[in-house]
Amino acid sequence: MNEEVYRFNCYVENKPGVLARIVGLISGRGYNIQTLNVGPTEDGTVSRMKIDILGTARVIAQITSQLQNQVNVIEVTCRKL
Amino acid sequence: MRTGARALVESLEKAGVEVLFGYPGGAVLDIFNCLPEAKFNFVLGRHEQGSAHMADGYARATGKPGVCIVTSGPGATNTITGLATANIDGIPMIVITGQVALSLIGTDAFQEADTTGIARGVSKHCFLVQSADEIPQTIAEAFYIATHGKPGPVVIDIPKNCQQALTAAKYPERVSLRAYHPESTATVRQLNRLAKLINAAERPVLYAGGGVIASGAASDVAALAHRAEIPVTTTLMGLGSFDEHDPLALGLSGMHGSAAANWALHEADLILALGVRFSDRVTAKISEYAQRATLVHVDCDPASINKNVRADLGIVADVKDVLTTVSSRVKTATHPAWLKRIADWKRLKPLGYRPLHDGVIMPQAVVEAIDRASKGRAIVVTDVGQTQMWAAQYFRHNRPRHFLSSGGMGTMGFGIPAAIGAAFAQPDETVVAICGDGGAQMTFEEVVVAVEHRLPVVFVVVNNGCLGMVRQWQELFYAKRYAGSILGSKGRMTIERIDESALDYDYLPDFVKLAEAHGAKGYRVIDPAKLEPTIKKALAARKTAVVEVIVEPRANVYPMIPGGKSVTEMVFD
Repeated sequence: MNEEVYRFNCYVENKPGVLARIVGLISGRGYNIQTLNVGPTEDGTVSRMKIDILGTARVIAQITSQLQNQVNVIEVTCRKL
Repeated sequence: MRTGARALVESLEKAGVEVLFGYPGGAVLDIFNCLPEAKFNFVLGRHEQGSAHMADGYARATGKPGVCIVTSGPGATNTITGLATANIDGIPMIVITGQVALSLIGTDAFQEADTTGIARGVSKHCFLVQSADEIPQTIAEAFYIATHGKPGPVVIDIPKNCQQALTAAKYPERVSLRAYHPESTATVRQLNRLAKLINAAERPVLYAGGGVIASGAASDVAALAHRAEIPVTTTLMGLGSFDEHDPLALGLSGMHGSAAANWALHEADLILALGVRFSDRVTAKISEYAQRATLVHVDCDPASINKNVRADLGIVADVKDVLTTVSSRVKTATHPAWLKRIADWKRLKPLGYRPLHDGVIMPQAVVEAIDRASKGRAIVVTDVGQTQMWAAQYFRHNRPRHFLSSGGMGTMGFGIPAAIGAAFAQPDETVVAICGDGGAQMTFEEVVVAVEHRLPVVFVVVNNGCLGMVRQWQELFYAKRYAGSILGSKGRMTIERIDESALDYDYLPDFVKLAEAHGAKGYRVIDPAKLEPTIKKALAARKTAVVEVIVEPRANVYPMIPGGKSVTEMVFD
């Protein structure tokens, strides 16, 4: 399967350790994050993370459901760039 | 107002904790100072890894979270193996770790480790508590997370100053997490399609995993199997979810599974995979796995569906919910041709072994003797390796939560402490640990805990003088170069620089003396005729005992699907 760049949009609770858990989940599986952008939303208790990853559709689907499983992740969307 | 430490103990009581496993140290002394007034019991392990496995064994035997408390730094790092073991098998567990005071975090303080950083990859979730006020809410959330969705271990790291500070915070009556809503149910469409597939199948197989046990669905699996006459195979984690005395039982599938189970999966036209994750130890060569079957995968964890094998119908839901709702749509059926084919396989390739030397006990016979001596009712707790596989193959598993084993992590040293945890959970049951001489040496210190609490656990040490599974792979795939796998005094590789001629013993340690040194009764069995009577005697005594059985060192686990091969390439001996 072809590797392509996908962009994850994650809305997460703004708590210590959340960024580390999400980045660890991706890097621990041997995938390289190409771009990472984290910032606040209008709701100060929620942060938004934009993560670009190179991977196959299958791997991306796997990462998406792993992200959704995380206790502090409110919403995940993913699209091909 | 009371201290954070007192609030923690109160919260554990409110969460329904009956027994707390653990080991003290500087960063949890404030909490230990509150334990004498606690309503639950405290069990002192002898190593934090042991305490973590005890909590795990307690959880596996009951389904309730096992709870363990340790100090900061080395106390916390020693639980990492226990966390990883529980995490991969989906076992609910709470590990409370002390931490240095918030003001000292990051200063390389004495016994400081980045516990949440280290534990993150081997736990379901981690909390680093920031104030005493957070403690009751955090405990409640941790229990919720450990037991909802796919269960797993949760770490709560509590800095010492938070244990000492005063708080009025109350334990919440309900827990609702903003971002974590793991409950999911099958849609009507999915259920209709599932029923249609079952009703149309000619060669169906039920494939039950640990999720069946976790969701309490064993009786529903049996009901479906009997209603539609579907043979049942289980994963290692699923053993006990279906009675192996039942004619529909195929036993274990996978690398060391039965021929009938593996071939049935290979030829099936419908596989109903319930609460499994398709481990590589089960699928063998993935590109050839179950090619003829429509694959239905029911699991509470969305990440496990389509992870290793592609499901034709993936249902993210509780297994029990799905089975109870689908049952009324499933027609009664028979599959005589399919069952005949399976019966032929069972006759052609039954599970079995041949003695290699006269008068030498075969390790498989030890498991059979435990099955007979306990009338099939023991809670069997295994260590890892050959003995684990023989315990899986040769005990006729017949009820859930009676086969406790480190499946995913394959953690040597699990058996002894997990058996102790199970014995605390089920004091009226017969608990038998089946360990090799390798694994038994990793956590033998915990036997003391069984003795001092008068737990009638029988620890069976199947002694073949080597690390059997490692030795087996070296024999089969590494040209019989037994590097590092021989524990006895003969057959060591020269690299180990051991002068065998100067050794005046056959093997160490002497497990009978070791048992006695720990206060347990020790038995040694060499004569095959004494095997079952000795195990019976040890079980009847209802006292902590170690039964060392000297067995054939060259026995291998068969059948076997060698790594990277498919089920059609099973090796029988």
